[in-house]
Amino acid sequence: MTKYLDLSIQQINELLKKKEIKPIDLVNECFERIENSDSNSFITLNKEEAIKRAHELENKEVDNLLFGLPIAVKDNIVTKNLRTTCASKILENFIPIYDAEVVRKINEKNMIIIGKTNMDEFAMGSTSQTSYFGVPLNPWNKTRVPGGSSGGSASCVSNRLAFLSLGSDTGGSIRQPSSYCGIVGMKPTYGRVSRYGLIAFASSLDQIGPMTRNVYENALLLNAISGHDDKDLTSSYREVEDYTRMIGEDVKGMKIAIPNYLVSDIVSSEVKNKLMEIVELLREAGVTVDFIDIEYLDKAVTLYQIIAMGEASSNLARFDGIRYGYSVENPQSADELYMKTRQEGFGKEVKRRIMVGSYLLSGENAKIYYDKALRIRDDMRKAFKDAFKKYDLIIGPVSTTVAYSLGEGLDDPLKTFMDDVLVIPVNMAGFPGMSVPMGFNKEHMPIGLHIIGDDFEEALMYKLAAFIEKKLNLNLDPRGGK
Amino acid sequence: MSDYKTTVGIEVHAELKTKTKIFSNSINGYGTTANSNVNVIDLGYPGTLPTLNEEVVNQAIKAALVLNCEINKNMHFDRKNYFYPDNPKNYQITQARTPIGVNGYVEIDLGDRKKKIRIHDIHIEEDTCKSIHHNNHSLLDFNRAGVPLVEIVTEADMNSSEEAVLYLEKLRELLLYADISDCKIEEGSMRCDCNVSISKTEKLGTKTEVKNIGSISNVGVAIEKEVARQKELLEKGETFHEETRRFDDKTNQTILMRVKETGNDYRYFPEPDIPFVRLTDEMIERVKKTIPMLAEERRTNYLNRGISLLNANKIIQNRNLSDYLNKFLDTDINLVIASNLLLGDIQFYLNKHNTTIDKTKLTDDKFIDIVKKLDEGKINNKVFKDIIDDIMEKDTTVDEIISEKGIKIISDPNAILEVIRDILAKNEASVKDYKAGNTRASKFLMGQIMKETKGSLSPEIVNKLLIEELDK
Repeated sequence: MTKYLDLSIQQINELLKKKEIKPIDLVNECFERIENSDSNSFITLNKEEAIKRAHELENKEVDNLLFGLPIAVKDNIVTKNLRTTCASKILENFIPIYDAEVVRKINEKNMIIIGKTNMDEFAMGSTSQTSYFGVPLNPWNKTRVPGGSSGGSASCVSNRLAFLSLGSDTGGSIRQPSSYCGIVGMKPTYGRVSRYGLIAFASSLDQIGPMTRNVYENALLLNAISGHDDKDLTSSYREVEDYTRMIGEDVKGMKIAIPNYLVSDIVSSEVKNKLMEIVELLREAGVTVDFIDIEYLDKAVTLYQIIAMGEASSNLARFDGIRYGYSVENPQSADELYMKTRQEGFGKEVKRRIMVGSYLLSGENAKIYYDKALRIRDDMRKAFKDAFKKYDLIIGPVSTTVAYSLGEGLDDPLKTFMDDVLVIPVNMAGFPGMSVPMGFNKEHMPIGLHIIGDDFEEALMYKLAAFIEKKLNLNLDPRGGK
Repeated sequence: MSDYKTTVGIEVHAELKTKTKIFSNSINGYGTTANSNVNVIDLGYPGTLPTLNEEVVNQAIKAALVLNCEINKNMHFDRKNYFYPDNPKNYQITQARTPIGVNGYVEIDLGDRKKKIRIHDIHIEEDTCKSIHHNNHSLLDFNRAGVPLVEIVTEADMNSSEEAVLYLEKLRELLLYADISDCKIEEGSMRCDCNVSISKTEKLGTKTEVKNIGSISNVGVAIEKEVARQKELLEKGETFHEETRRFDDKTNQTILMRVKETGNDYRYFPEPDIPFVRLTDEMIERVKKTIPMLAEERRTNYLNRGISLLNANKIIQNRNLSDYLNKFLDTDINLVIASNLLLGDIQFYLNKHNTTIDKTKLTDDKFIDIVKKLDEGKINNKVFKDIIDDIMEKDTTVDEIISEKGIKIISDPNAILEVIRDILAKNEASVKDYKAGNTRASKFLMGQIMKETKGSLSPEIVNKLLIEELDK
């Protein structure tokens, strides 16, 4: 059995350039592994098309480091002629007629989409257990959740079924599964990556980002998907930089803050202890690490629920059985068409959030809750901004615990939100945030370090992440059998 | 029975004249094949996002300006959430909190006085798609989905059907002349909803909303019918709920559509896909400069040049004629003659041939030439009627056309006198009659002269010279 998926992207690139391997070899290996895996990382495979594409690429010049690499795409990013379900029954047979902007960009780089990854239904969840297509498994322990909502994207990269994947992050959905699965995940600055073609959950929070085996490959993929898009009015005009450019630089002299709230009692001691080891390591390397207070962090989850559910209730209104997606047969009226289609098409968690969101926007509530949430959100952003005046970066844990057991938390919607308490403030404030592995607990489950940057400071975040990655030199292959 | 006071407020939806739709680059066009001007954004396809058409914002600024509104320089869009098959996303992108214009007015002329109808606000929104009901099925045409609209909401300032009609006529004139909308009610590019209530006290009565009115004059009829209906109910001691009614132009009655539910809940919130739009003074100034001469100014200009109010209004009702006439505002030609020509023979010709003035061969020079010739009595209206087809269809000059037609233009007063003297010499009896005090004899002589010259002379000039000659 070949082991290209265990090689670095640079090594693969050399082999491709020297014509020692062809893209089809990579594609074949991916499908071989996927088909022999029980991880349920994918909802739809793109085998036929991927093979065709790989053959087409044989006659093309190997023009960039990502050339010919198989990539997995979260199933809430639309792909022309390739089923896109959002892990929902309501889109079970939905074949989009256009490509998302990020898909156009990865095609432009001559990457090969091998499939659409499993996730929480409409990205609503933190465990991927709300998927209509069954839960994907955590490669480190198959009785554990991979995290969510980008659980399939995390598990397939962790399990070495694909080189790279794309996820989306509305309230931690890239970073938390990356932490649970021991990979690197970046939620870029809001507006860095076009949302055109990302099926909206909460428009003011959603952001697509790269999920990869290591820091360098993550930065490379961010290079490829970033940039202004005229089709997305919230997309930034800021020029794209080379996000790999600071990787390898000395971290000495950097100033880093840890918000006290992120190391309070809400965090398990094993996670907290691991973070303290990192603090030591950084201080030894000449980095200043201070513990500071950032206001409103404790309010973030509540604010998030109001904003995310409010927006979701509106964004998901379009799934009505008229133009696309699941549609109930022989409705007697338009109202019956709406009600039955949505009743049967959406899962429990999605319906719960639509109902709560509708309530929060209803009548006077919009002013009492939504408007107020937007105001406090601005204040929270200012509080972060103040911290960034003194510190280069902010760090903390990604999650309060390691990945928990399948089934846990399903009946307690608040629990999963509380798990996201550390990642949500970043979406609320629009800053970039990433997860990079910082070690394992006693059960050998991975723990992620959370790095938060000021707007468009992704390159600086990669610099710190790469330093930690190199220093720790962890074996992050779950098949490594430690 | 003391009188009820009628109170009317009006909401007008006007489709904006733009090349493309408000949030996508699909064509904004009426009357094309169903579902041909449609893309994924108009369909509310998953993953799509709106872009904002700058032309729409400019048109809306223009509308706010001509309606004398204050402009919201920091505006955003909101989502209005409701489920309806013609609403592709099941939310409509509109402006609830920061309408582009507020606190404006439209002035109407009540004859004895002028009245300002206050504009509460004007906001931008997207049109829905069009449902067509066919054989127990509903068909949807998405061509209209995403067509840009402005909604213009008045205060409840109108107190009669006449005032409502005057307001709508004035509003239509403003939107039409500023090139904001083509305001074709029959094509749905202007739609009026009227809120009507009556009361004997200062406190407003229960209002009903009348929708679906197919013409401005029917708005008047609908309001009168609704007032009568409400009066009848109140006189019987009955009460009624706020409700939405539609106007049926076959029976001239308003018909109940639905009783308004209390607290219609649209769950408005700021549209997160479109950032705040900041309108600068420079943008507004730039738009201001694109506003063409509006109807009111045209009317004043026409009256100043001696055109009657009746004719001025007739010209203004026909935008093409008014634009044409305006080309000569800076010249010293006789605009009374010019307007008479336009409203008379020229409009007759255009209607008969189903064409517009710009498609004919009537150049500005030719028009000036004709007006001058008429003004100076070198030709008369009869001659113009004889040559109008050639004027409109041939490239040749007016003089060339006249000579081609064999019409003898006698413009030299001496030459005219010669003809007159010749006729007088041939009709001595009539001259004697005239001198004897029978003034009617001059009419006969006049007829003889016109006959001789085939009507090519100006009757006024001939008459003047003839009388002078007879009175010698």
